Amino acid sequence: MPSRSSHSPAGRPDQRGCQEFRSLMARVSRRHAVQAGTFGALGLSLGDMLRLEARGEASNEAFQTTKGASSSTPAKAMSVIQLHLGGGFPQHESFDPKPEAPVEYRGSFGVVKTKNGDVFSDNFPKTAAITDKISIVRTVVGKIPDHGLATYHLFKGYTPTAVIDYPAMGSIVSHELGGRGELPPYIAIPNQSAFVGGTGFLSSTYGPFELNADPGQKGFKVRDFSIPEGVPLDRFDRRKKARDLVQRRIRAMEADPATLDTMDDFYKSAYTLLTSKDAQKAFTFEGESEDTFKLYGNDTTGSVRGPDGKYHTKGLAERLIMARRLVEAGTRFVTVTYGSWDSHVDVKKSCLEQMAPLDAAIAGLITDLDQRGMLDTTLFWLTSEFGRTPKVNGDSGRDHWARNYSMLLAGGGIAKGVIHGVSDSTGGEPARDAVPLEDIQFTIYNLLGVDANKELVAFGTRPIEIIKDGNLVKGILS
Amino acid sequence: MHNALRSRTWLLLWIAVATLASGLLTAAGAAASESADAPSFRRDVMPVLFRAGCNAGTCHGSARGKDGFMLSLFGYDPKGDYARIVNDIPGRRVNAAVPEQSLLLLKALGAVPHTGGKLFDKDSDLYKTLFRWIEAGAPDDAEAVPQVVGITLPKESVVFKKIGGHGVARVTAQFSDGTSRDVTSLARFFSNNPSVATIDADGKVTAVAPGDTNVFARYSRFTVGSEAIVLPPEEGFTWPNPPANNFIDTLVFDRLQQLRIIPSDLCDDETFLRRITLDLAARPPSIEEYHAFMADTKPDKRAKKIDELLAADAFADLWATIWSEHLRIIGGNYAPQATHVKAADVFQEWIRAQMRSGRPLNEFVADMVASSGSNLSNGPANLYTMMLHQVRVEPKPLAADFSQLFLGVQIQCAECHNHPFDRWTMDDYYGFVSFFTGIKRKNGIEPRERRIYFDTSVEPAKHLVDGRPMPAKVLGSVEPVGGDGDPRKALAAWLTSPNNEMFSRNLANRIWAQLLGRGVIDPVDDIRVSNPPVNAPLLDALSKRLVEVKFDLRSLVREICNSRIYQLSSRPNASNARDTRQFSHRHLERLRADTLIDSVVAVTGVPRKFEGFLTGTRAIDVYPKTSGDTAGPHYGDPFFHTFGRASRATVAAAETKLEPTLSQALHLAVGDSVRDRLTAGGVVKKLIETKSTPEDIIDELFIRTLSRRPTTEEMTGMRELVGDDVKDQAVYEDIFWSLLNSTEFLFNY
Repeated sequence: MPSRSSHSPAGRPDQRGCQEFRSLMARVSRRHAVQAGTFGALGLSLGDMLRLEARGEASNEAFQTTKGASSSTPAKAMSVIQLHLGGGFPQHESFDPKPEAPVEYRGSFGVVKTKNGDVFSDNFPKTAAITDKISIVRTVVGKIPDHGLATYHLFKGYTPTAVIDYPAMGSIVSHELGGRGELPPYIAIPNQSAFVGGTGFLSSTYGPFELNADPGQKGFKVRDFSIPEGVPLDRFDRRKKARDLVQRRIRAMEADPATLDTMDDFYKSAYTLLTSKDAQKAFTFEGESEDTFKLYGNDTTGSVRGPDGKYHTKGLAERLIMARRLVEAGTRFVTVTYGSWDSHVDVKKSCLEQMAPLDAAIAGLITDLDQRGMLDTTLFWLTSEFGRTPKVNGDSGRDHWARNYSMLLAGGGIAKGVIHGVSDSTGGEPARDAVPLEDIQFTIYNLLGVDANKELVAFGTRPIEIIKDGNLVKGILS
Repeated sequence: MHNALRSRTWLLLWIAVATLASGLLTAAGAAASESADAPSFRRDVMPVLFRAGCNAGTCHGSARGKDGFMLSLFGYDPKGDYARIVNDIPGRRVNAAVPEQSLLLLKALGAVPHTGGKLFDKDSDLYKTLFRWIEAGAPDDAEAVPQVVGITLPKESVVFKKIGGHGVARVTAQFSDGTSRDVTSLARFFSNNPSVATIDADGKVTAVAPGDTNVFARYSRFTVGSEAIVLPPEEGFTWPNPPANNFIDTLVFDRLQQLRIIPSDLCDDETFLRRITLDLAARPPSIEEYHAFMADTKPDKRAKKIDELLAADAFADLWATIWSEHLRIIGGNYAPQATHVKAADVFQEWIRAQMRSGRPLNEFVADMVASSGSNLSNGPANLYTMMLHQVRVEPKPLAADFSQLFLGVQIQCAECHNHPFDRWTMDDYYGFVSFFTGIKRKNGIEPRERRIYFDTSVEPAKHLVDGRPMPAKVLGSVEPVGGDGDPRKALAAWLTSPNNEMFSRNLANRIWAQLLGRGVIDPVDDIRVSNPPVNAPLLDALSKRLVEVKFDLRSLVREICNSRIYQLSSRPNASNARDTRQFSHRHLERLRADTLIDSVVAVTGVPRKFEGFLTGTRAIDVYPKTSGDTAGPHYGDPFFHTFGRASRATVAAAETKLEPTLSQALHLAVGDSVRDRLTAGGVVKKLIETKSTPEDIIDELFIRTLSRRPTTEEMTGMRELVGDDVKDQAVYEDIFWSLLNSTEFLFNY
């Protein structure tokens, strides 16, 4: 069981968010891209050979599935790009602005008309112009307004319990569908959100591959991702052969075979990634035009300075372009994190700083996927662990609110041009068509062709449904 | 047939005991509930709301209620619940004029839309109780109603010899007026592992598959458990009667024999040497140590090796780092948090000195708990800077972290409601918080300095429900500690007393888990009624032993390491391959991040530089230093992050992550930790110069890296790889790489 000691709220919130959320952000901002040599020119024939060997199927015998009414239909989506806005994204300042609510409730900005005849906060002009390609759910209902617990719920479909640690959606998709090519099926850009924790009762084989480097930073290069110069492929192959030889003894001991499988699977994946030209290329921006970067708004900045005194884009455009490239190369589930949204103090400033690049990048990604013919098979999902209180607090901020908030979904079998659910007059409770978070997750699994009613077997014997009591959100299906 | 009969006898006995217990004691209660009197709100109605799940956390017991109706979670606030049910919207939830139109009843029957669905039928006792209460005018209790003071199940343990066997767990509640009654029909039940044994809503336990688990009953604010053991078939099971080295072996073997699990064999000398050196010195054995140990033919050589390692500084330093992680030492330069690098150094050094000198662990803890003064000169006072990393001392999170670390108990649930799965109440929680309400810091002489003191004028914490002040009181006690000074002296005395089993059990369990990879209670910092030990006599004995040796860490570690259990092989047998929690064999465990990089350094001979520390400092002695704020996760080095060293963001034991990841494989395969060290230390070059045959070189590379000789198959295979050019440095480096990237090197097994 991972730590649940984040349970108790601690410290006073300030502009950077409450104490708990700041702890999380401290970890993210301290990451630096680490250089790891250059991409060597690879002799293809030998590399291909290694790779073919390396792609031997991982054995999944530890986890069988058991009964459960099937909910699955033929897959529409092949991949998911989840853009996660950690901290609690304000629904009033984005997709549910409530312009007629009393001033202490209403969104802090004006509104902009959407292409399908509704209104968004005017922070989202570009997204408003492509609402014919996306769906908005305005009545998502979460459970717990606590960063740790709600992030867990969002990524895993369950709230934490004392006995079972659940796997994240990306891990389950990895487990159920595997990869579509040489790339890891589940990738986190640049890193997994700190509150998500491990792979639960699934082996860490199904954990996300973290880039450990931010595509939005200059000189971006995935860490530890190329064969060192001076080690020709025949030597690399010799190393692999020697390692296989050493592995035999511990294999013969039959101690913890699942752990041994996991380790060997990782080495197989590592050989593949290091020796495949396509895999290496997917993790760079090779061949991307300047127009593409512009389309995603890499030059769009916020209109106020961030805490570091600069106007900036924070690299979202590059992260999403990377996500698209990875999906193109066969990754099933990519999570991208962006920004710091825990605006207990001055929600308006937080939005002015971060929303313009967000708007541009969302619209850019949807347009790009559409132009490339990938939108029908790629599901884009904009998430946050919860929304924010309908009433603005004494510090001009909004606090945590899980009872009603908004999400944006597009592509991969999601309806085009739908605004689903109506919140009450202040945006605090669903008035019509409430959508429990589990139903969104259930629907995404369904579109991927994963039967979310299916039971996975934890600890060898204990059956656990992928999503418990989920329902299809029919209103957002195309 | 024989088995089935015996199993039935067991069950009959179990039920008989239950019936006897309830039969003798329930007369008064049963009579009361069937009398013509109106049901009592607290005694009769509240249990219905509990049993039907109305006041559960996912329903109306949630902090904001559900669909506009809130109840206190599991009924901690009957007075408030009465007001919300009866007075909030008069005539709607309860309608005394037309009882059957009461929303309380209609919702529960599912007769009107209800998110929670239908909960019971009209002819159920639950319905009848509510109906009769409403019919009588939904009266509040005029006088004090006897309170539940405890609940019991008939047996602490029940053994099923056959899959499909079953029995009934009858629950008896004891009341403050001395009466008892059977509350099985009003209790709620759950099993910790339904794949071993299930328990249904009527308390019926069914054996599902061989194994051991616990089933629980909950009633009022109490949870009580009973162990459920389902045995594998007796055929083919012969207890091998392995020799016991000490009390640990006796108790683990007792348990294994009871569960029909055969332990693995003793591990060989090579494995033992590597295991014990990694566990006690956080590094692999040197080549010299390897040869000396293997050449030693004395029967007590393992015990001697244990003594030798316990006497070395590395053992103390490893434990200093373990404490440093738990106490969250991070050095920064942001003065208001009082966690300046200088304070961190002082604290770390103080801990190291205590570990090296063999200071009794209870005294070590007591020093910290009662300490005041300068963060820069009085090391232990930094308990009140580092555990928090905040500008002000926040008593609630401090109390929560404190109890999690020193008692293994998570009391924070009781901030808003009585702990649903443990015995802690809100009274316990707020009384405990009051030990810390007066802790403050004031500026010292220089800007980095803060002085920790206890301000006795600060009011104690106030109870959430009724706002009454809760003076400092230790967990589980009724009376406050009293006195008008700093209550932490009383806290330290209570906490670290040899009589405080919560403390000694927590420490003993943590020490055991450090060496065996898993606690007798696991996770080690989530001790509660519903997470019982997998071998209670073992934990009791370890705890007792720790007290007997006057809290001497080395004595308990020595005892554990000398046990046969610690020295079992990781090779499983048919009987124990599926056991993950009864210590029947050793489990593979990835090396801690710091031990791993120290091992790479030791084997390759190339030091590693850590930010803020001198070159040559071992990873095990490194703690994170940062130029800024020390709140939040800090690793101190990218290697520590990739390999899951505790980020020190919380006191949780789960901070240390040992799961392998793809990033780890990539890093070891091509990253800078191994890549440059293959050549830089000159290990291979020197071997080529000094050894006469390729076999000798291969042999030494194996011993150096894996602390064992190569197998014949490995030697043949590696010799083939070397080929004709027996002086080619590249091929030996490739072999060296393969050893450093092997699962054996990365794991302790």
